[in-house]
Amino acid sequence: MQYRKKQRTQISVRVLQVCIIVLGLIILGRLFQLQIIEYDTYSPLSRKNSLRQKVINPARGLIYDRNGSLLVDNEPIYSITITPASYDKDNTPVLARLMDVPIKEVKKRVQEAQNYSLYRSSRLFTEVDFKTFSVIQENIWRLPGIGHQIESKRHYPVDSLQASHILGYLREVSKEQYLQTKSYHLGDKVGKSGLEMAYEEHLRGTLGTEYIKINAMGQNLGSYRDGAIDEAPTRGSDLLTTIDTDLQMLAEDLMEGKRGAVVAMNPNNGSVLSLVSSPQYNIRRLSGRIDSDYWQSINADTTNPLYNRAVSSKQPPGSTFKPMMALMGLEMGIITPETTIDNPGYYYRGRRYNDLADPGKYNVGKALQESSNTFFFWLMDKIVNKESIDRWHELASTFGFGQRTNIDLPNEVSGTLPDSTYLNRVLGEGKWGIGDQLSMGVGQGFMSATPLQMALLASEIANGGYYVQPHLVSSIKKSDGSVLLTNPKKEKIDWVDPENIEVVKNGMRRVVTDGSGRYYADLDSIKVAGKTGTAQNPHGQDHGWFICFAPLDNPKIAVAVLVQNGGYGSISAAPIASLLVEQYLSGEINRSYVYNYVKTFEPKKQTTDEEESDE
Amino acid sequence: MNNLRELSWSLVVLWASLIVVGLVAIYSATQGPVAEFLPSYIQVNFYKQLISFGLAIMVLIGLQFVNPRTFKEGAYVFYGIGIILMVLTLFVGKEVGGAKSWLVIGPFNLQVSELMKIATILAVANYLTSRRDISAENLKSALIAVLLILIPAILVVLQNDTGTAIIFFAMIPVILFWSGLPYGISLFMISPAIIGYLSIIEWYWGLVAAVILTLMIFMIQRRTWLTFTSFATGILLVIGIQVALFQVLQPHQRARIEAFTNPSFDPQGAGWNVIQAKTAIGSGGLYGKGFMEGTQTQLRFLPEQWTDFIFCVIGEEFGFLGASLTILLLLGLTLRLLQAAATHKHPFAQLVMVGVITIFFTHFFINVGSATGLLPVIGIPLPFISYGGSALITNTVMLGICLNLDFYKRQFSIYR
Repeated sequence: MQYRKKQRTQISVRVLQVCIIVLGLIILGRLFQLQIIEYDTYSPLSRKNSLRQKVINPARGLIYDRNGSLLVDNEPIYSITITPASYDKDNTPVLARLMDVPIKEVKKRVQEAQNYSLYRSSRLFTEVDFKTFSVIQENIWRLPGIGHQIESKRHYPVDSLQASHILGYLREVSKEQYLQTKSYHLGDKVGKSGLEMAYEEHLRGTLGTEYIKINAMGQNLGSYRDGAIDEAPTRGSDLLTTIDTDLQMLAEDLMEGKRGAVVAMNPNNGSVLSLVSSPQYNIRRLSGRIDSDYWQSINADTTNPLYNRAVSSKQPPGSTFKPMMALMGLEMGIITPETTIDNPGYYYRGRRYNDLADPGKYNVGKALQESSNTFFFWLMDKIVNKESIDRWHELASTFGFGQRTNIDLPNEVSGTLPDSTYLNRVLGEGKWGIGDQLSMGVGQGFMSATPLQMALLASEIANGGYYVQPHLVSSIKKSDGSVLLTNPKKEKIDWVDPENIEVVKNGMRRVVTDGSGRYYADLDSIKVAGKTGTAQNPHGQDHGWFICFAPLDNPKIAVAVLVQNGGYGSISAAPIASLLVEQYLSGEINRSYVYNYVKTFEPKKQTTDEEESDE
Repeated sequence: MNNLRELSWSLVVLWASLIVVGLVAIYSATQGPVAEFLPSYIQVNFYKQLISFGLAIMVLIGLQFVNPRTFKEGAYVFYGIGIILMVLTLFVGKEVGGAKSWLVIGPFNLQVSELMKIATILAVANYLTSRRDISAENLKSALIAVLLILIPAILVVLQNDTGTAIIFFAMIPVILFWSGLPYGISLFMISPAIIGYLSIIEWYWGLVAAVILTLMIFMIQRRTWLTFTSFATGILLVIGIQVALFQVLQPHQRARIEAFTNPSFDPQGAGWNVIQAKTAIGSGGLYGKGFMEGTQTQLRFLPEQWTDFIFCVIGEEFGFLGASLTILLLLGLTLRLLQAAATHKHPFAQLVMVGVITIFFTHFFINVGSATGLLPVIGIPLPFISYGGSALITNTVMLGICLNLDFYKRQFSIYR
């Protein structure tokens, strides 16, 4: 009995030992499975659990004018945020008192935030002033669920400067863009026009990431490993533009109340000194939180203030195209400076083509001075017969007609410089004739160009036949201090003979001294050369053009002005261009009567608004 | 007093090591870098546990001066007092975490069910070794022994403390087995737990287990009625659990079971604890994230991480090495106690030790099993490691009694 019991005990001990060891091994095996084999599954899970990535937006790059004065910088905007889940509604009266708004308003906004999400933070009040923001910040300890947020918006330090079509505005990234690029977050601001859009990549900088520890309740517990793995944002690159702020302000002032565009360039390198499209929009009202009333009003405005006429509108250049014609005629050997024709007051080729210039003997110089249509109809006739419309197209296109200049602004259009292919396509093969071609010889008909292209033409003549790339940004200054030069191209247009250029220049000089420009464009101290033009407008009053450059011998500025429905270019566009030249070269305006004339000049109202919708 | 060399120092060292491991883990769980986000009454847990440790040392030493016979002679008295206190708790007890198991006596909060474990072990051991003719082989005495355990077990159930009740139920087969219950019947007694566990996971695994267990029982003890009963019970259990899962259980109870079998079913709800616990342990890897560096722990992704989920803290911060060491310490303690029982001459001492082993090991297995997702989450603490003064003292008393019985094994006269 005693023995049996002892044996039984021994077996029982063994059984229990085995049980303990087996169960212990099961536990150890399970630990091995979880911690060694499945480590790669659980490690990211725990990291995801406890860390929240917070995106830090970089400061957007600044924009300077040609003299290094700041045109665009950033300004903080203060917002009060709410996380409804942790907000105590009993605090509403306190919050309303601190914010100095009615309790009802706070209640309404809290409810809205709650409807959006109970747990995610949303903005309760945006763009609050700094004082209110500070008061809330001081009291935040007794307002659980209330937070604050500092964002930034664009700020324009030069008060009277708009430059809205140069600088452009920002808006929240569209869903498509957000999905496409992956580098944006919803709610990010992105350049939607002007330089802000063209240089979005540079201005934007790179996002930073901050890792924040959160606990199971989602509370923020401060930075992870004291920010050891945080990535600081890289601030955006600054743009050094070629804008002359004084000239730009004058141009904006002169274009006020008119529709049209001004482009002023340095003819020697294509740098744009001033670019105005009128009417402008108020760039300051599109900064920060969108002022939706204003946004709707400018979108509904029939004068289309968001439309950049300087690069996006194309009009027949009219007589401002004649210097180009003259140059081509000389180059093709069809005319010499001495070639003279008899102008009976019209050109006859199957029918009469009218001329406003007086009848008489015309050489190319006089033809430019008097803007004789007859001479240029005759010249165009010779060109298309002796050479061809395609040769004409080939030469004119080297000056930039019919193609985008690729200026660093969005939404540029190419204008139209027809060739036989174009006419075949538009009118049908064999269905176009001499009449269609002759009208293009005086910059009418199918021919069209943007104000920028006309400024480019003035520049190319001024600089002796060099194509210069129009541009607004001369260099990009990166956040690390390095500078990226844009190096715009400047190339001799190979077919241009300097002697022929001189002939054209002199013709353009005669326009200002003795021709249609003599009333408003002739300056005492500065030799200006220019050409007026009038674009026929089937919808209403003709558009006035003027292109010019100065000084004649060593050109420093080239200007193109378009005044829509301004009638003759000599009375609408020329005074504006000449004032800009005067301001730029002499630093002041002595002809206050011209300034007053421009300010009181009223173009006729356009009857319809079709021009904006073509292209 | 005996020669101090007679004391089982290895048990003392294991005991102290486990408490130190627990203190480290509790410190990390309550004093870490983000302690400020914890309520202040939890932040002091480490210091309270430190005081309990001091108290436990005194209890352990003090118990060595007690005459071993006292435990045997006083067994029924302790048991009686325990039952009275348990009933009292039922009426005037304080409810903590849904369980009404705390008795407030002056400045002390006493968890009577903890002390009741000791009293029950002593009483059952005393009963089963009181006379030669009493043994678990005898149906009547076996039933009386079961009753001695069932009474406190039912009281604990009434207190709504399921975790502790399971500990009591676990004692029944082990103690009966040790005191001579035939092997086949012993296996039959634990078979429902195995079949039940497996059929919760997949019903056919339960079925397979029922068949295999029946075969084993048949091979150990060739008795037709036992084999038949075993098989019938197994099948009924598999069916019963399926019915219970889909028909009887309340949705929240079913959710808890589902959280165990398929935690990703409701990751934010019932599955949360399981997922977070497994994530904590799994993300610890081989070496762990380092003391006070565990993100799951420090950022409070674990509920009750200083008590029921303390093993996750160890697993996360000290990795597989730390967690296995802890497991080995606990296994060492139970195996060393088993050895002490095996070498003891007096059946009372043996049975007490086996009872204590059962309690320690069940706590350990259920706690770690819950934390690692092997078992459904059942809230019971890890012995000597989890925060909790009552549990630490109770466990130390149990170990202290075993040490005492082992220490005096030469003087322990068998029959008075």
